[in-house]
Amino acid sequence: MRRKAILALVVALAIVATATAQQKEIRVLLANHPYGDLLKSAIPEFEASSGIKVNLEQYQEGQLSTKLATEFATGSSTVDVFMTRPLQETKMFYKNGWYQPLASYDFADFPKASLGLVSFGSKTYVVPIVTEWQVLYYRIDLLKKAGLAVPTTFADLEAAAKRLNSADVAGFASRGKGNPAVTQMSSFLYNYGGTYLDKGKAVFNSKAALDAIRFYGKMLGTYGPAGVTAMSWDNIMPVFQAGKIAMWTDASVFYSQIVDPAKSQVPAESVGIANFPAGPKGNTPFIVVSWGMAISKKTKSLDAAQTFLAWATSADMAKRALGNQQITVARNSPWLDKAVLAKVNPGLIETRAYAAKNGVPFDRPYMSAVGEARDRIGEVIIESINTKGESANLEKKANDMVVKVNELLEDTGEYGVQ
Amino acid sequence: MKRGIIARSAFLTIVILAALVLLFPFFWMLSSSFKTQVDIISWPPKFLFSPTLQNYQRVFGEQDFLRYFLNSTIIGISSVGVSLVLGLPAAYSIARFSQKRLSVFILVARLMPGISFLMPWYIIFSRLGLMDSYTALILSHMLIALPVVVWIMSSYFASVPREMEESAMVDGATRQRAFMSIILPLSGPGIVTATTLSFIFSWNNFMFSQVLSMERTKTLPIAVYNFVSYAEVDWGAVMAVAVAIMTPAIILTMIFQKYVVKGLTMGAVKG
Repeated sequence: MRRKAILALVVALAIVATATAQQKEIRVLLANHPYGDLLKSAIPEFEASSGIKVNLEQYQEGQLSTKLATEFATGSSTVDVFMTRPLQETKMFYKNGWYQPLASYDFADFPKASLGLVSFGSKTYVVPIVTEWQVLYYRIDLLKKAGLAVPTTFADLEAAAKRLNSADVAGFASRGKGNPAVTQMSSFLYNYGGTYLDKGKAVFNSKAALDAIRFYGKMLGTYGPAGVTAMSWDNIMPVFQAGKIAMWTDASVFYSQIVDPAKSQVPAESVGIANFPAGPKGNTPFIVVSWGMAISKKTKSLDAAQTFLAWATSADMAKRALGNQQITVARNSPWLDKAVLAKVNPGLIETRAYAAKNGVPFDRPYMSAVGEARDRIGEVIIESINTKGESANLEKKANDMVVKVNELLEDTGEYGVQ
Repeated sequence: MKRGIIARSAFLTIVILAALVLLFPFFWMLSSSFKTQVDIISWPPKFLFSPTLQNYQRVFGEQDFLRYFLNSTIIGISSVGVSLVLGLPAAYSIARFSQKRLSVFILVARLMPGISFLMPWYIIFSRLGLMDSYTALILSHMLIALPVVVWIMSSYFASVPREMEESAMVDGATRQRAFMSIILPLSGPGIVTATTLSFIFSWNNFMFSQVLSMERTKTLPIAVYNFVSYAEVDWGAVMAVAVAIMTPAIILTMIFQKYVVKGLTMGAVKG
């Protein structure tokens, strides 16, 4: 009798063990981002339909980067799928062999420019999820009161900033803090005909680049809010929301927050969004992939990871993100779907259409040591702002920093490589 | 008399000014935790506003903050507890037998940048299957707590006269017995100081928890960032969390403040 009971117990345990072994589990790391929140809320649907259990963790972007880099560097990571920032991380992660190539993924629905960043050789490593582009936010009421049209060129922008600037309201704002300013300076740079890197060499000391840096410094130094050289988006946005800034150039991602009455003192009908103004060499603002999703090279459940990736980055999910949450997704199809677009703010649709057609897919020097390079370039920008673009020392400073950025490129073997 | 009043009022003014400067950030944090996002960013700043509890509701209702609280408490108490068990005898031994090299060795462990431990720890803990476990976090937080205990207590023990334990040993007590029954009861303020400081250091630690914890063992300093999203900061909730995190540390410090001062100065006067 006792022997039978033991046998039954062993069989039962074996059945339980097999059942447990059969249920696949994956570990997914998401960012604190509206797209991450959307996936988090939808994961029960995925688990029910696929039978795959998802162990989810969600982190602020800086924490996410640190966690991924530490885990991957040890070679013992258990991460299967993760959100990643292409411009900030992809080059380094790829070089370290941390991404699984996505051979079977269908990339037909993505803009070619967005894939260029995340493809090396013939293989693509990251699925673009979210894009953002540079726009001009402005106060409709203030411009109207001053009898001004929405600026479409740098000359208009400067004239309007001059008119709107007062003791109470700053005429113009953009990021002035060195490192974060680099991305928002980029469209100024392009519209003056400059760029940060060319054929793997730093070139932000060219005549065109210096003109752009001087103009940026003049605008912020003369018409910017007090203390602008310490301000990134998180400092500028509250000032704009408090009604103390007339015009602000930054990424499109902030639009929903500055027209949200729960977050802003400025009525939504007084806030406008327009294309970034044109410079002497045309108008090619940045449009970048700010977030993507990838599979870890070390995954032990490749099939399950691929299933999850396909679901999380599907056209259906992208439509939900754009239509319900105004997340500016990377896929093309949601932007062509009339039912989805009916729910999206027209200002976003128009500025996106312009940037997608004319924009540049970089907002920073695309290199492994991007953080360090941004610190160096940031010093030049701050010098320009502090002197209202008049610094006699600016060219020398830019030359010095070009040497330093080139050294960073040499350190990682990227110097002179396209 | 007159001079006395002037000196007194000057002193009071300085104290009030210093208190204002020091307390304003706390006041700002506390008041912001009861404000809406619009009131927080409003300019000029609002000192009169209709308070709201929505930030606290978001923190404790929508997020599992009690669990993070519990995690931080378990890890803090356990790491400090184990550090006391190991650190008190070690400190005593250093104080009585002049083991300078050992004490320097322990200090070096504390002086090394914590980040240099992270990779080896990650490898060891993941191989042992201890990731996302209290064990891994308690062991890592002992790197913070143990040197604090040893260093504060070794100078404290050195200040307790040798005659106390020697007379006990003359009466037949073993050294262990003398340590347990004579020295430890005399060292209350020192132990309270070491416990309070090392608990606060563990409570506030960010770096070790960031890499070694996952969803189950997330601690409070990591969870603050749940409210910092991409391109968006929920200032009201961040302030509410900051209030919640600081409250236990402030209460602990207020209760034990006099011991902490005593404990830190006691060892200092004795060479």
